[in-house]
Amino acid sequence: MKALMSIGALVGVVGLLLLVGMIFDVIPSNTVRLVEGYMPFQMLLEFTCYVAGFAGLSYMASSIGMAIPRFWQGIGFWAFVLLYLKFRVYPPIPFSVRAMYGTVSLVAVFMWVSANEEDWKEFKRPIMNVLDASSGTNKLLRYAYLILLPIIIGGFSFNAMVPKSEEPIELRTVHPAPPASTKVHGKTFVLQTSQNPYRVNPEGKYDQEFTNANIVEQGMGRLMKPNANPWDEKNEGYLKYVREGGEIFFQNCHFCHGDNLNGRGLHAFAFNPIPANFTDPGTIAQLQETFIFWRVSKGGIGLPNEGFPWASVMPPWEQHLTVDEIWKVVLFEYWHTGYYPRTWD
Amino acid sequence: MGRVTRKNLFSIMALCAMVGLLLLPIVMALPSPATGEEAPTADGAKKDGDKVEKGRDVYYKTEGIVVGAPAPKTMDGPRDYPRYNFESRVLLWFANQQHLYYGSFVLAVPIFCMVIEFMGVMTKDKALAKRYDQLAYDFIKISLTAYSLTAILGGILIFTFLTLYPAFFGYLSSIFRPVMHIYALMFVAESGTLYVYYYGWDKMKEGFLKWIHLSMSVILNVIGTLLMMLANSWIGFMMSPAGVDEQGRFLGNIWHVIHTALWNPLNVHRLLGNMAFGGGVVAAYAAYKFLASKTDEDRAHYDWMGYIAMALGVAFLIPLPFAGYWLMREVYAYRQQMGITLMGGLLAWLFIIQATMIGILFLSTNYYLWQAMGRMRGAEKYQRYIKYLVFLLACGYLVFITPHTMVMTPAELKAMGGQQHPVLGNYGVMSAKNGGINVIITTTVLSFVWYMRGNKVSTVSWAKFGNIFMGVFFACAYINIIWLAIYGYYIPANVRVGLSVPQVATTLSCLFFMFALNSVMMKGAKQMGPIEWGKISVRSQYALIMLATAFTWMMGLMGYIRSSVRLFWHVNEIMRDNSPWAYTHTTGFAANMISFNVLFFWLSILFVFWLGSLAAKKAPVEAKAGVPGSVPQPAGSH
Repeated sequence: MKALMSIGALVGVVGLLLLVGMIFDVIPSNTVRLVEGYMPFQMLLEFTCYVAGFAGLSYMASSIGMAIPRFWQGIGFWAFVLLYLKFRVYPPIPFSVRAMYGTVSLVAVFMWVSANEEDWKEFKRPIMNVLDASSGTNKLLRYAYLILLPIIIGGFSFNAMVPKSEEPIELRTVHPAPPASTKVHGKTFVLQTSQNPYRVNPEGKYDQEFTNANIVEQGMGRLMKPNANPWDEKNEGYLKYVREGGEIFFQNCHFCHGDNLNGRGLHAFAFNPIPANFTDPGTIAQLQETFIFWRVSKGGIGLPNEGFPWASVMPPWEQHLTVDEIWKVVLFEYWHTGYYPRTWD
Repeated sequence: MGRVTRKNLFSIMALCAMVGLLLLPIVMALPSPATGEEAPTADGAKKDGDKVEKGRDVYYKTEGIVVGAPAPKTMDGPRDYPRYNFESRVLLWFANQQHLYYGSFVLAVPIFCMVIEFMGVMTKDKALAKRYDQLAYDFIKISLTAYSLTAILGGILIFTFLTLYPAFFGYLSSIFRPVMHIYALMFVAESGTLYVYYYGWDKMKEGFLKWIHLSMSVILNVIGTLLMMLANSWIGFMMSPAGVDEQGRFLGNIWHVIHTALWNPLNVHRLLGNMAFGGGVVAAYAAYKFLASKTDEDRAHYDWMGYIAMALGVAFLIPLPFAGYWLMREVYAYRQQMGITLMGGLLAWLFIIQATMIGILFLSTNYYLWQAMGRMRGAEKYQRYIKYLVFLLACGYLVFITPHTMVMTPAELKAMGGQQHPVLGNYGVMSAKNGGINVIITTTVLSFVWYMRGNKVSTVSWAKFGNIFMGVFFACAYINIIWLAIYGYYIPANVRVGLSVPQVATTLSCLFFMFALNSVMMKGAKQMGPIEWGKISVRSQYALIMLATAFTWMMGLMGYIRSSVRLFWHVNEIMRDNSPWAYTHTTGFAANMISFNVLFFWLSILFVFWLGSLAAKKAPVEAKAGVPGSVPQPAGSH
């Protein structure tokens, strides 16, 4: 047990040193890289390691007679969560999300330190000591709080009320509900039932499973499946359509959406927000092909009322591409990212 | 003997009368199923020759003879939308929400009474049986005053509809005319049954008469549930109309109008929601009484009452997310647009708030259970592991509430380099959220298991093996849930939706198998000490109040979301809302309005509690018989 806790303590110390380095900008946040494709699990895993490390540190401190008071354990852990979110995770997390996480972790800390009566008493003791002014130092602290707390709260209030010239927060609806149907080049497409005419098997029939089996491997590297190279001139059917979609993509779309389809094209950073990142599991992977068809056809100008604040400069591609070309581009986007279009069956 | 026979006879007659009341609306509805007139038949149609017009059902796609008028095309003005100098929609919202709160409460509490009374009848321990009986009586007593308020609020709601939305209500009542009459008759039946059930409590407390009394509670609940289902048919019709043609003309089949695409999931979701809500309100009542108690005896009684109410509420809270999931699935199946508006579009932020509230419910429950372990000697052995449960809960909760679309300033958006955060954005999708909520529920089950064995040590010969098995089972459950959440990112969406089944199955396996195994292991277990009812921290009681407030807030929120998803339709795609208020409120306004409704409900129910306490002061001393310390363990706890 002691050996296990020693390892935990070592992990805790190393982790803390790294975090302190990141806070003071001695060590860049990406020194320990967040690996693309595994980031969310990596973050949870790191967090778990920190908790295990703190448990080890606490155990070791107790065993050498230098137990950390419960009050400082609680406050310290909460401070750690706030600092970790602010300085470790990159790109920076918006304040609204950090505020949510901070509140939840504060509640979690409260639940931990007050889960039983002894812990709660121990946690409260320094607070009660100050309130009771049980010693000279505590008395001094009590006066300090009496003066400082109203000033701090007043400062926060002033800061909240003072007029600011910052751009207002936007509650953007990224995926507004699509219409039931859309008319492109005079033809009406019902979004719930329409299918990509080029998502076909060698017999020429619509076939999700066949096409899904020929998309690139997901994860790092995005490898092509063996014998499924769309740029092989001999390929016909689905893979040929993917190639044609790719050609249309690189002629029209990649300037903004990037040659890796990650929204970081040549012109991308002229816009805010930058174009959609198709490799993110929160974009096309969540949507039906017909949704993408509708968005590509109608562009930013065709966003419905719900799509506030309509922050999209994408052209309505129906003015430049044929229906077939749009379907092929959509096909290519799914092939390249390795995602499957959403279906409802 | 003669007196007892007469009592039996009267009781059986009362029971038969209740059954009669229950069947009366159905019998009355039989000769005239649709319009209150002779329903047109094919023969009738032939007689009228070509004058008969046929229409196609918008949902069932069947043909039927048009028997109703088209949905009115309303215009903004005093004819269709008479008003005060105030937003009519907000007035209606308030009236509706208050009626729903009370309605849910008075439908849920009799179900609790039935369960608790049944537990009392089945318990061999006479002292415990008496306590169960008294608890059931206390519950029904609380609901009785609330019942009158429900009826009054129902009246206010109808008057609000009639005076502020006459065209819409006229159309709805023209379609649901027979259903509305049946509803009114059911209400009469419910009232009659409730009063006989309540006032006959003392007279029917033993032997055969007790069974008659228990049967009355079953009938009472059947009527209550039917009432709820009929009311649900109206909102189901407004969201997913059926039984009418494209112009909204009724096609003569009342069952189609009732049995819309969303009716059944709404029924299940509302029934479970009402039960969880009812448990929360009673638990809050018990907490309030506990905090106000002056004696240890009272504290013990209300501690026990709060525990039972909480346990019942949580028992229905656990399946509630799954029922909600089914409802959403059906919404998507009915109209994809509606589903996206709810969960990915305009109303998605409200779902983040809902996730936050669900998390609060589970966190409060866990916290209460940990606090409750403090009144058991021997439960200390679990205390030091609670921090790990906190960690699991917090991680699950953080993932569960992470928004897909984050609120940020344009500067933050630019710094982030895209709309989706590459790390946290992944928590914003369904796969991660399913994992998050299942981790939370499984942890709650684990807390319950620890609570159930808090002051006991198993004496079965295979106890060690049983403990190891349980530990491994829970560990495997966590691994399976988390693994499936990760795996969900790598498979098609339709398969991913299906993955929720094994995740839910894992969670429910923990619930049922572990509870069953634990019960077997704890049979004849060595007691480390009694449960010292009343010796629980006051924080636990605030957790119960938090639980109830979160339930109330969430009900208000979900009601608003469900109603808002119709956007600018009174009846989806059939009758357009042309009032000046046919827009979706801002999230802030909606949150304030929900908070106001919650506050009003709690203030008014405090009044109800106070009225209840006035009656209690006059109650005979016998009612407080057999309390704590000596209190045998309630069946729900061990």
